Amino acid sequence: MRTVQRLRPRATQAVVFAGLWAAAAVVVLPVVGILALMFIRGGRALSWELLSSAEEGLLPAIVGTMCLVALTALIAAPLGIAAAVYLSEYARSGPLVRLIRLAIVNLAGVPSVVYGLFGLGLFVMLLAFGRCLLAGACTLALLVLPLVITASEEALRQVPGRLREASFGLGATRWQTVRRVVLPNALPGMMTGLILSVGRAAGETAPILFTAAFISLTKPFPSSALDPIEALPFKLYYMATEAHGVSEEVKWATAAALVMLVLAMNLAAVVIRARLRGARRW
Amino acid sequence: MGSPDVGAELILRPEGEIKLETSGVNLFYDGFQALREVSVAVPARRITALIGPSGCGKSSFLRCLNRMNDLIDGARVVGDVLLDGNSIYDRATDVAELRKRVGMVFQAPNPFPMSIYDNVAYGPRLHGTRGREKLDEIVESSLRGAALWDEVKDGLRKSALDLSGGQQQRLSIARVLAVEPEVLLMDEPCSALDPTATFRIEELMLELMERYTIVIVTHNMYQASRVSQYTGFFLLGELIEYGVTTQIFENPKDRRTDDYVRGRFG
Repeated sequence: MRTVQRLRPRATQAVVFAGLWAAAAVVVLPVVGILALMFIRGGRALSWELLSSAEEGLLPAIVGTMCLVALTALIAAPLGIAAAVYLSEYARSGPLVRLIRLAIVNLAGVPSVVYGLFGLGLFVMLLAFGRCLLAGACTLALLVLPLVITASEEALRQVPGRLREASFGLGATRWQTVRRVVLPNALPGMMTGLILSVGRAAGETAPILFTAAFISLTKPFPSSALDPIEALPFKLYYMATEAHGVSEEVKWATAAALVMLVLAMNLAAVVIRARLRGARRW
Repeated sequence: MGSPDVGAELILRPEGEIKLETSGVNLFYDGFQALREVSVAVPARRITALIGPSGCGKSSFLRCLNRMNDLIDGARVVGDVLLDGNSIYDRATDVAELRKRVGMVFQAPNPFPMSIYDNVAYGPRLHGTRGREKLDEIVESSLRGAALWDEVKDGLRKSALDLSGGQQQRLSIARVLAVEPEVLLMDEPCSALDPTATFRIEELMLELMERYTIVIVTHNMYQASRVSQYTGFFLLGELIEYGVTTQIFENPKDRRTDDYVRGRFG
């Protein structure tokens, strides 16, 4: 009995370690698999011409998605950051704050197609934006808002309390403290969270399906925020379901372009974080 | 003034100008009572030390004097604190203005992650001082006042985070001096420092005493006896005894004070 017990920890360790390794591998494999599949199937069609041509290629969809992402960030950032600042710097814990947090958690759990329909009802119809870039960006902004708020709050929490104390101790008001000490130090973290969040929005189809996206026959690029736009996820959805005469290779190449765009954004977020983490210690 | 109680004769009222005075201060954190009926008069341009074992309420008391406890959820003060005879807990009190007059140096050095210059200029900028020359002047005189100028004058643009712990604490003092406070509250300012740095801060305090009223919380009794003229002894949220430092250390009236300063507990 004793010997068995003494051997056990090592055996347990080996099993647990193998299990953890397998779990990590399971996370990595699909990513590698998906990327490999797309490049093998679509690699040959993935040419500069495909990416840069307005008539035959993906350029309108790429431009459209980038416009969407940029406008989404522009709308979601001030709202999300302001909400996070209120929640973490101003609000005292109580029923109201609990209610707001509950709302944020639930908002994050709403399926994206519901956002799409909500956006259709509110922005496209009620506010009469029509199907356009602005309506799509507003819808996506709502979708990413919970993520932006949560990430911003986390970034604010990372700013040590003693810096706030030091500022208050010198006679700063709460707003002066937020503006001069807390925000500058939380901003890098907030930017990272924002990019990751809108990166997720870049790949969403359902929210823009009814609010912004179309397949252009005559007008590939929007001239204002009130024009409808092409978008990569929507184009992919359309190619896969309705379009005729599009080769399998081009479909895969489109998927690869979308994934690369999202990955590039995630990579940018990681780089920004690493840069600024190196510059700051406390 | 104040309600008469059993220990009243243990609390000395210093002669001369009184800068800060508390009357019957009670502090509650939610249900917990951290301070009981603390009444004390702090003389102007002297160093007053507050001693006592950990958790006795001395730091909490210090934070009542510039309303830093306002920042803690669930903290509530009953009683009053007078600065130059005016209540600081009055509805009309501008808390930011109060903290400008009653500056605070914290236990651990807490420089902002910005340059040495910007750290010192932070306070003056908050309160509306603009203009390169004026700020340069304040930064230099504050750093001189905190005995840090000679060490940093060639690198004012360097990050404050590159300074040593003792230098950072002197920078914290310079930062407070830059807003020209009347009272300096120091919450165990040397507890994170080595003996050399501690010695420098103590020397500095004695210099600053000429212009500022200083209240220092310390768990180091030698420090209290070296730098202060008046000492208060806290135990379990109560001010047990308050008097001239030499009397408190050599001839305490209360048995508990005696036990503590002789190192029998704490």
